[in-house]
Amino acid sequence: RRSSDLLADQGCEWKEEVVPLNEWHEGKCELRKTAVFGQVPRFTDGDFILFQSNAILRYLGRKHDLYGKNDKEAALIDMVNDGVEDLRMKYLRFFFHEWETGKEKYLEELPNQLRPFERLVSQNPSGFLMGSNISFADYSLLDLLQNHLIVAPDCLKDFPHLQAYKDKMEARPKLKAYLESEAHKNRPIHPTRKV
Amino acid sequence: MAKYTITYFPVRGRAEPMRLLLADQGEQWNEEVVDIQEWMSGKSELKKNAVFGQLPRLRDGDFELYQSNAMLRYLARKHGLYGKNEKEAALIDMVNDGAEDFRQKFGKFVWNEYETGKDKYLAELPNQLSPFERILSKNPSGFVVGNQISYADYNLLDVLHNHLILSPDCIDAFPHLKAYVAKLESRPKLKAYLATEARKKRPAHPKDKR
Repeated sequence: RRSSDLLADQGCEWKEEVVPLNEWHEGKCELRKTAVFGQVPRFTDGDFILFQSNAILRYLGRKHDLYGKNDKEAALIDMVNDGVEDLRMKYLRFFFHEWETGKEKYLEELPNQLRPFERLVSQNPSGFLMGSNISFADYSLLDLLQNHLIVAPDCLKDFPHLQAYKDKMEARPKLKAYLESEAHKNRPIHPTRKV
Repeated sequence: MAKYTITYFPVRGRAEPMRLLLADQGEQWNEEVVDIQEWMSGKSELKKNAVFGQLPRLRDGDFELYQSNAMLRYLARKHGLYGKNEKEAALIDMVNDGAEDFRQKFGKFVWNEYETGKDKYLAELPNQLSPFERILSKNPSGFVVGNQISYADYNLLDVLHNHLILSPDCIDAFPHLKAYVAKLESRPKLKAYLATEARKKRPAHPKDKR
């Protein structure tokens, strides 16, 4: 989803190739056999095929000047994106594997997990997560915050910078249009659970 | 006085891939060793100031960085270890992220199931190794991507080293992985580093009691 937010916000068009989950799990997909690590998403740019969601984000980051203005900014953007990814992994584990048993603990821990991002955003005059301009890491963080707000609508109540950040990102015209599109709104965050 | 400083616990862990990279690239660095008990005590200033409360930390002069893969990418850009164009860079990222996933599975096993889950982990291991065998088999240069070494090679080598400690014959059925490890280990500067006391004395991870 982060890649589609990025592409939408950058004014790009793309095609979605939908993989039916049951076919994937039943091993009926050729794609699964050829996928480098046996996983999706897959990204195709002409003849070029790429797997691994963060590799895709970085590729798009380089193409659309979303990777900072020098090597040091690039490194810091990598650093914060990896921090987002770490929390995303925790979230996925909770969301897909511990929904009934782990919810209370996860939500109790959540402020400690969000606090570093509150601090980073509060320290950055540009209002983005890192650097003077929007970077690919911002699309990662936005997605992470949106997912958390679905399961815990008040999780940003003590984090005014993250709340303002989310509002600012979602107000970007092209991104706003995409987030309000039928395609995006109809895409569930979980294959079967109604959240 | 070396300009790089690695701040970490006295283990290989998540700092070792960048040590392999720096050594192989002929760079020197300082080691700032952190006592684990002090780190966990709740009184560590270092931990409070760390962006995500974690180590390792890399310093390059005044510049400070956290997140081990961000460090690898930073050093890769400085040393020409990120492929020759955008597509190679993306493929290197892809393979590194696969190695990172593998490292995380290994880490989870070490922390949670080291005593109880060894048989299961080893039974699963060939499925984890085969994507990398396949990647190497498709690249005549013998590196994971492109014609020259990249930062992903140092990360993958380190993950393989961890597994060879656990099970010394685990790559015997994977000829490309076996050749890959031998080839990388024979690179002169890397070979010299692997023979140092510092490297030999450093446990791979806190449960490595050799």
